[in-house]
Amino acid sequence: MKYVKYVDVTRAMFPDQPPYQWTENVSAPWTPIAKPLSQSRVALISSGGVYRKDQPPFKPDKNDLTFREIPADTDAGDLRISHDHYDHSDAEKDVNCVFPIERMRELAADGFIGSLPEVHFTFMGRIFRKTQLLNEMIPGLIARLKALGVDLAFLVPA
Amino acid sequence: MIARAVEEAGIPTVSLSSAYDLTALVKPPRTFFVNYPLGHTSGKPFDRQNQTAILKEALGKAGEITEPGAIVALPYVWDDLTWLAGA
Repeated sequence: MKYVKYVDVTRAMFPDQPPYQWTENVSAPWTPIAKPLSQSRVALISSGGVYRKDQPPFKPDKNDLTFREIPADTDAGDLRISHDHYDHSDAEKDVNCVFPIERMRELAADGFIGSLPEVHFTFMGRIFRKTQLLNEMIPGLIARLKALGVDLAFLVPA
Repeated sequence: MIARAVEEAGIPTVSLSSAYDLTALVKPPRTFFVNYPLGHTSGKPFDRQNQTAILKEALGKAGEITEPGAIVALPYVWDDLTWLAGA
């Protein structure tokens, strides 16, 4: 399988700087999927910088430690993207490329997934402050997922 | 990193990714790899069939993954392969 090596791409972009050290984990955490999908509430979580037009945009460069709650019934035409580090020209025309909100509604309507939470979640990638991310943003996100009764989180990075 | 934290908190996760090497380093619990240019992780623009197929495979098969950190490559191919020329 031929695929782009983004570690090399990133290093080539910043030849004068010490190579960025990506987090390297040797194992992954695990929570078994207990419920059938058709009975599960599935939340979408996107790092593509998507926000609703009446919400504050993300800081488009890096280290925005906030997330947005996007009502699951939001019209796709009311969504905008604030993110300087990937080509979102297609996603601006069809947000489902990185935030498949319409497809999720269809899958819930036809019973493929059990239900949607009231809101999905979006944030902006390129957060290099891991301690702040883990101690500030993520606990708030997890608390909301639990409060909304989410059974399965579906993460779509851009 | 978010997937790992959510999973650790007791909510199972399934992720898409278009960056195989980065995902292999970070190891989210369950990942389906979509070999598309960045910005199209959940499918091609205005291609409802393609977007639906990606979502159905990832969500529908998430429960079949038994190995934490597994990355399953989905078979979809971007139409114009010149973007992979340097890979």
